[in-house]
Amino acid sequence: METHASAQPDQRKTIRLRILRGTGERTSSPHYDTFEVPREEGMVVLNAVHYIQSHLDPSLSIRWNCKAGRCGSCSAEINGRPQLMCKTRVDSIEGEITIEPMQAFPRLKDLVTDVTANWKVAATIPPFTPKANAGDIYTFYQADVDRSREFRRCIECFLCMDVCHVIREHEADYMGPRWVVKAASLDMHPMDGLNRSKFMKDAGGLGYCNITKCCQEICPEHIVITDDAIIPEKERVVDRHYDPILWVYRRLKGGATAGETK
Amino acid sequence: MALNWKTLFPYEIFEPNWRFWSFVGILVVGFWALLSFPVAEYAGYIDPFYSPTILIVPLPGLFRLTCYAYRKDYHRHLFKHPLGCSNAERGDSSKRHYTGERNGLFQLENLHRYFLYAGIALLPFFYYDFYHSLVFSGVFELRVGSLVLLANALLLTAWTGSCHAFRHLTGGNIDCYSCVAAGGARKAFYERQSWLNRHHETLAWASLLTIFFADLYIRGLAAGLPLDLTLVRL
Repeated sequence: METHASAQPDQRKTIRLRILRGTGERTSSPHYDTFEVPREEGMVVLNAVHYIQSHLDPSLSIRWNCKAGRCGSCSAEINGRPQLMCKTRVDSIEGEITIEPMQAFPRLKDLVTDVTANWKVAATIPPFTPKANAGDIYTFYQADVDRSREFRRCIECFLCMDVCHVIREHEADYMGPRWVVKAASLDMHPMDGLNRSKFMKDAGGLGYCNITKCCQEICPEHIVITDDAIIPEKERVVDRHYDPILWVYRRLKGGATAGETK
Repeated sequence: MALNWKTLFPYEIFEPNWRFWSFVGILVVGFWALLSFPVAEYAGYIDPFYSPTILIVPLPGLFRLTCYAYRKDYHRHLFKHPLGCSNAERGDSSKRHYTGERNGLFQLENLHRYFLYAGIALLPFFYYDFYHSLVFSGVFELRVGSLVLLANALLLTAWTGSCHAFRHLTGGNIDCYSCVAAGGARKAFYERQSWLNRHHETLAWASLLTIFFADLYIRGLAAGLPLDLTLVRL
């Protein structure tokens, strides 16, 4: 472990950052570098990491874009908790700050991970399919899209995927919280005519989620992931696949028992 | 600044871990008392476990067991999938087998709404118990025990009303409110119910506590403790 002294020694208080370095798979003895960075008023962890890049070690790799909590690029594990570096103030943390890349995804270099697997899951979700009577110009009320809009706040930082123990600890065929949110935003749209419950149950592996709500706890956009997306999607799966009364009702009505239209 | 009522209580009791193990403790002690010294009714107070009959206790039991709030607590604190969200406290391991809610008995959780129906059907009995405690002596009499029974009935109603399955069935399953009859009223109801739903975990805990408190209170009276005061007598 190396300790880098600040190029311009500062008389103000400093903060100590411990950053996991290296490329590819983690080894049994991971390598951390420790840096001392001058503390400034209102500083966030990303500021401190930028200071390291510009003053102490230009070889440190991170992914970032907006520095304003909008782009979802600077996801990392700060003292073991998945967070955005740009939304975590250093004065909210006592003592040394340990920064590691998201462990649910393969590491490319230092704090940069490869999140390609997400786009593969995204491609499997049945896309928006307008209702039969939707017409050429969609007309609907704001009140009808309120619910769906909550999920549009997602900035795809993938912190929810990182914190999800199903994705992280178990190689289960679960699409993950981000993609349940995506499916819910389509399912709850007033103009969408598709029922995705069979997809959610089988390919999506929704039953793997045991609603322990870590994704909801850490979402930087405060999307109520479990209560507003995952549990309603689970209830929709119950409607189509587990509820005997609704099954009989659909049989008597003569409709599809588990069709793909709403 | 609005008063946060949670600050009136020790912080720890709202911690999920404390909550889960307090459930277990309450259940063990409660059922032991229930079997050892059954008290079905005393001085006009009907014990909540006997309302309307102790034979139906498995139904609200299953309602709680399949409740999304309790599921979070036992998946975290009993099965440790995961224990917490940060690395230091995760406790889950890739070496342990995990099937989530897909296999075995966990599939029973998909029938939560049927236990909800049973729970709703039982609610009027708790209000009847309150009424019964007021008039059982032939005159109207409001005693402390009646308020205990009323608090129990109200908290059970709030917990049942904040249920996620109830939320789905009463509005969550509608994707276009302006396309259905009384859409505006249904959306307004859904939004109010959603507010209550945000407190589901706290209500799940508080309502269990009041059941056992009411049970203990009635046991205390039966044991001769001078707990009961008459507040109003007409």
